[in-house]
Amino acid sequence: MFGLAMRSLRKRAGAFGASFLSMFLGATILMAFASMLDTATGDGVTGTARETLVTMASVVGGWGLILVVFAVTSTLTLSVRQRAAEMALLKSVGATPAQIGRMIVGEAAGVAVAAGLLAIVPAALAGRGIVGLLHDTGQVPADVPHAFGPIAVSMGLGITFVSATAAALITARRAARVRVAESMADAAAEKTRLSRKRIAGGALCLLLATYAAVLTCTLMKGKGTDAMASAGQADIAAAIGFAFLAPAIIRGVTALLAAPLRAFGAAGDLAVTTLRRRTGAMSAAVTPIILFTGTAVGTLYLQATENAATDAAGLSKTADQKGVETLNLVVIGMVVVFTAIMLVNTLLAATAHRRREFAQARLTGATPGQVLGTVALESAVLTVIGVACGTVASVFTIVPFGIARMDSPTPDGSVWIFIGVVALAVVLTGATTLGSARRAVRVPAVEAVAA
Amino acid sequence: MLGRKAARPAGDAGGEALRLEGVRRVYGPEGNQVVALDGVSLSLPVGSFTAVMGPSGSGKSTLLQCAAGLDRPTAGRVFVDGAELAGGSEAALTKFRRQRIGFVFQQFNLLPTLTVMQNVTLPLKLAGRKVDRRRAQEVLERVGLGDRLDHLPSELSGGQQQRVAIARALVTEPRVVFGDEPTGALDTRSARAVLALLQEAVRVYGQTVVMVTHDPVAAAHADAVLYLADGRIVGYQQAPTAETVAERMTHLADEVERQRITAGV
Ligand SMILES: Nc1ncnc2c1ncn2[C@@H]1O[C@H](COP(=O)(O)OP(=O)(O)OP(=O)(O)O)[C@@H](O)[C@H]1O
Ligand SMILES: [Mg+2]
Repeated sequence: MFGLAMRSLRKRAGAFGASFLSMFLGATILMAFASMLDTATGDGVTGTARETLVTMASVVGGWGLILVVFAVTSTLTLSVRQRAAEMALLKSVGATPAQIGRMIVGEAAGVAVAAGLLAIVPAALAGRGIVGLLHDTGQVPADVPHAFGPIAVSMGLGITFVSATAAALITARRAARVRVAESMADAAAEKTRLSRKRIAGGALCLLLATYAAVLTCTLMKGKGTDAMASAGQADIAAAIGFAFLAPAIIRGVTALLAAPLRAFGAAGDLAVTTLRRRTGAMSAAVTPIILFTGTAVGTLYLQATENAATDAAGLSKTADQKGVETLNLVVIGMVVVFTAIMLVNTLLAATAHRRREFAQARLTGATPGQVLGTVALESAVLTVIGVACGTVASVFTIVPFGIARMDSPTPDGSVWIFIGVVALAVVLTGATTLGSARRAVRVPAVEAVAA
Repeated sequence: MLGRKAARPAGDAGGEALRLEGVRRVYGPEGNQVVALDGVSLSLPVGSFTAVMGPSGSGKSTLLQCAAGLDRPTAGRVFVDGAELAGGSEAALTKFRRQRIGFVFQQFNLLPTLTVMQNVTLPLKLAGRKVDRRRAQEVLERVGLGDRLDHLPSELSGGQQQRVAIARALVTEPRVVFGDEPTGALDTRSARAVLALLQEAVRVYGQTVVMVTHDPVAAAHADAVLYLADGRIVGYQQAPTAETVAERMTHLADEVERQRITAGV
């Protein structure tokens, strides 16, 4: 089975691209922050310098970890879901569920090891950059060198490997449990009810988000900058919570928008049925939009409020505080870039997979323009949902932090931050989906259907 | 059999449903080329039912796809219902197909997210034509699925799915219906039902049907059989029966084999 897994990897390199990229970027971020711990164990690192490094690794690395695990799980689930028909075929020629499970897990483990190893060099560079910033801000003395050692490598490889295999185990269990006939049919039409696991996951994450939000505006009130840690996690937890509940949200919104969408003719009609009957795939596509909007809006306004709070305290910014701000922005930047890449990555994988479906529509008489119109409408709906959910998620961070720091629930910072993030989400989603769909319809329909 | 009309491999333009003139189709890059169709010319009259047979790889699917505007010939011309197949954009080609051509595949190619009724009315919607649900229902009743309108394709048997695909091909009332092994994935009984539907399209509705098949029994439902080997038309037989077709196919296979051996391929 391991041999089969490796062969399958080699032959379908493209299909694993999305999982690989998320693991690679995830491992890079994890190792970069874990190398702060390596640096902290160095000789002569004491007192506040040590504390700063450990806080940096645990707080930032901590929520980075959640994000990375979630991204890896969702891309892996997507790639297994896309291969439902192949799994059914393997089963029909006599593969046992256990064999299929080993194949999926073997593939994921192989990709994780490759991604983790390749991430070592970029992670070392990123880690050096972060320590360089800490030097500049004076939080860490300049004579403390960046160290990239056993902690970074073992944590980076370990977490990537464990989260990838665990995610694969969960998906494999589900893929292996269904019977052949069922999964052949499943390849076509998926169940539309929200699973109990999704409800539980969504509820748990939203509870955590609420907890972090309440904590921020009660216990952390007046504690100054420390409130950033709890506030910063709230939007991520809320965004993941909404992502869990995405199928139900998509169905609800589609029901609301069905009439106006239908006004667009056949393309609108097709978009409505896809949104309705393919909620699983559509949820996978909307997830990165929610995460991107939620984390970007949340953390950018968080920093804006923090800036305003420092100003209001009547302190003119010291060089140190400017440095801390830069550092925060760098960290925020990493998270935002990560979610943006995940967004493009996931949407590319999800759209490229629909080549056959597009071809079938074309053989029924759809022009390439009509296919692209359908895709445009779908992604418009997904963008609206993703941006709306992400914005609500960011409120979990912004409002409590405002209360904690400024006694005011409204954030500081220009409305243009929000507009900019939304515009970026719209452009990334639209350009990726349409670009990928355009490439898919360029293949002759008869060929795409046979493939 | 009543109403059987003769098909001619070439000839007059009156009542001509399909004409190919010197159609060539070459696959692959320079230096590694496969000639799938090597100058095929034919003419089929309106209201004829023609089967296309030949060994595997002889170019049957390619012929059908070129004739139906799903693929572009490397050289030669194709006329459907008197109009030359547009050489323009993909969108222009799609619009051309919508008005004149129906296609049925071996793999039914129904859209999995659409119900039976939605699948059948989709070509009308896409063409911006009025969606006459009553007519769609009539067509579905004709193929014996009047009671499965709201089912998804995954809830139907293969034979039923193929009948939906036929209903979808017929609903736009195309002049020519192409089928690439439409009975290839079906059992004998479902296959017979599908063939009867195609025959009915010809006899009752005056449409023209061109069908690729490997099955002599299926070919015998047609008015005439075209034989293809190595991308060329090598035979034409009217009023086929299962026995004569089977016999001819055996000879054809032997002959192709012999030619290949002497050609040193
Ligand atoms: N996309 C393609 N690229 C390269 N060669 C192709 C392609 N499609 C078909 N061919 C080649 O063209 C020839 C004719 O293929 P075609 O599919 O028309 O055969 P066929 O008669 O339909 O065979 P079968 O009965 O097996 O379906 C074959 O040699 C085939 O290998
Ligand atoms: Mg063929």
